[in-house]
Amino acid sequence: MPEIQFREALRQAMVEEMQRDENVFLMGEEVGEYNGAYKVSEGMLAKFGPKRVIDTPISEAGFSGIGVGAAMCGLRPIVEFMSWSFTWVAIDQIVNNAANVRYMSGGQFKIPIVFRGGNGIAHQLGATHSHRMESVYARVPGLVVVAPSTPFDAKGLLKSSIRCDDPVIFLESEMMLNDRGEVPDGEYLVPLGVADVKRGGKDVTIISWGKCMKYAVKAAAMLESEGIDAEIIDLRTLRPLDVNTVAESVRKTHRCVVVDEDWPYGGMGAAVLEQVYKHTFDDLDAPIQRVCCEDVPSPYNHYLEIQMQPSPEKVVAAVKEVCYR
Amino acid sequence: MPIEITMPQLSDTMTEGTVVKWKKAEGQAVKSGEEIAEVETDKATMPMEAFDDGTLAAILIAEGDKVQVGQVLAVLAGKGEDAAAVKKQYAAGKGAGAADAEPAVEDQEAGQEGTTSPDAAERAAVKDKKQPPAAVADVAKSVPAGGTPERVVASPLAKRMAADVAVDLSQIRGTGPGGRVVQKDVETAAAAKPAEKKPETGTAAGLAPRVVSGQKQVVLMTKMRATIAQRLQASKQSLPHYYETLDIDCENVLAVRGRLNAAMEKEGVRLSLVDFIAKALAVALLRHPTVNATFDGHQVTMYGDVNLGMAVALPSGLIVPVLRGVNQMGLKEIRLRTTDLIDRARQQRLKQEEMTGGTFTISNLGNYGIREFTAIINPPEVAVLAIAAAEKRPVCQGDQVVARTMMSVTLSSDHRVIDGATAAEFLRTFKSLMEEPGMMLV
Repeated sequence: MPEIQFREALRQAMVEEMQRDENVFLMGEEVGEYNGAYKVSEGMLAKFGPKRVIDTPISEAGFSGIGVGAAMCGLRPIVEFMSWSFTWVAIDQIVNNAANVRYMSGGQFKIPIVFRGGNGIAHQLGATHSHRMESVYARVPGLVVVAPSTPFDAKGLLKSSIRCDDPVIFLESEMMLNDRGEVPDGEYLVPLGVADVKRGGKDVTIISWGKCMKYAVKAAAMLESEGIDAEIIDLRTLRPLDVNTVAESVRKTHRCVVVDEDWPYGGMGAAVLEQVYKHTFDDLDAPIQRVCCEDVPSPYNHYLEIQMQPSPEKVVAAVKEVCYR
Repeated sequence: MPIEITMPQLSDTMTEGTVVKWKKAEGQAVKSGEEIAEVETDKATMPMEAFDDGTLAAILIAEGDKVQVGQVLAVLAGKGEDAAAVKKQYAAGKGAGAADAEPAVEDQEAGQEGTTSPDAAERAAVKDKKQPPAAVADVAKSVPAGGTPERVVASPLAKRMAADVAVDLSQIRGTGPGGRVVQKDVETAAAAKPAEKKPETGTAAGLAPRVVSGQKQVVLMTKMRATIAQRLQASKQSLPHYYETLDIDCENVLAVRGRLNAAMEKEGVRLSLVDFIAKALAVALLRHPTVNATFDGHQVTMYGDVNLGMAVALPSGLIVPVLRGVNQMGLKEIRLRTTDLIDRARQQRLKQEEMTGGTFTISNLGNYGIREFTAIINPPEVAVLAIAAAEKRPVCQGDQVVARTMMSVTLSSDHRVIDGATAAEFLRTFKSLMEEPGMMLV
């Protein structure tokens, strides 16, 4: 199986879907002439031309709204954001329009649109460009929120997202685009709303998604040497949450640690944790622990920025706490 | 719960440390993050910070002493705790010597043997409370294993597991934070449980375990025992009990029983004398509704059905399963349902509704040859019948002394609800039904 970069997997998904369906098009800042701010859309303008790979001005509210309108008219837009942090100015289009039009029109309009781009803390982008947006969008009925952690899942999930008739929030990370992973040749889909048990284990369930999956995987290896057998669940879709897979695992291990890079108060991990409690209370042997970012604005300073975020070591410490070790 | 301050591991290689200097004195307030002592490690002398707020109640390690990582150095009294009481508690425990400060693993081992060896049990008790048994009564709020006297702190899983394996959570020493009982504590306790039933080392199999001569054994009250103690004491103290005893001639009812059992032999049903008692009581109680009642201190509630509580002795205490609607049952159904209830009571598998809602209770010590006894009323019920053995006794019939099978029953009544004559009338009805069982059909 060929090993390709995360960004190539995303590109393959978009190219395949644009070849499959002429209604699919890509729109965003620098996606065309510049071949993508992060080279995700490299070569796509040459392949599909300026009618289907459209450069926009720096105007997130504007081109998000155009995307929603295009979706209402029957097209299937992919809207790329250079960073999900920039969607604070597009949130009215995404939440009020994309998420609600289908409901408010009594089902007369569907909104088959994918909003995608880098989410969360990258590398020294400062407080305003380091937002973790999953909790902002995952709380909204009408949206689907996806956060892949591997090139394989990225391709399969993006293809499913493009074919979805509801608006999909697709969360990538600048820190994952260079990651390599095995992706098979040819067509495959990864279903939305299905979590993946990335590693089986019996002592503790570590729940994570997106970029933080790396910390969970590293922590599990460190824990193994200490005789703790961790099960890792990659949620992959944050809304709708695959609570059955999660609950089944926690009922087996009796312990749970949620790892995410959101803030502690009202963050995405807190919402996941609430669902785990609700379904597994009588099976828990310890309070669920959360490893997440510190309750501060994202620092620009490199060392502080590292300190502020989850790490494999922090995950190991939390696991030991729930294991009473 | 007092907070123990232990020797911290301040470097990867540190296994022991020396308290160079205490920066706080006993009785001083301590804030989280505040330096309380200087500790010398294998590498350097470093400040040691408190992790909690409180009052430094007791310093257990003198300046200059070297101790293992994890050993308790001092104790903080938390908010609302009496520092003097905490100090007293720990000062007494210190008398147990260096063993007191050994790692928790030691404690657990002692706890496990504790049930088989009285000596170890006592040691475990001493360690748990950090004070000799004699001092237990001194400290009004001695904290049992795993939390406060009111509530056992345990993880939800531990609670469920303890219920499944019938282990008393209040008897388990929790090793989680704040004494929380967690999964492994229940597993340890469950693993130790079969050992309880083994005869003591050195005694022949089959003999009851006994406390070794010259030694004593301290046993903490189980939750069940504590509940029994509290409820019975409350009943006997607050209900004005009085007692009426009556002898019943059982020859007729035993003859009927013999005929019915012969008739039902193929079905494998064997009626017992107590089934007739239950049946006769159901009839008598409906005729004397004041006795088939509950009383809450303000109003008496009388019932159109008889829910008969039957006291069952278990190794760990007493349980009263309730046979509901006896008045609607024939003797066979009474027998089958009683057998099922008592079996499940012995396995501690009764549902809550099978232990509540009684309107009258019987306590039967007939099997033990007891001639006569009295029972304590099970509130809110207002009466209980103590059933003694049916035995051959010399009885006067006219001027002749003849041998008859006689049984003495004693009714304990709550005089607030039932007067002496009312109780006597009820007993007379019951006696007449037992002596002429055909009258139950009338």
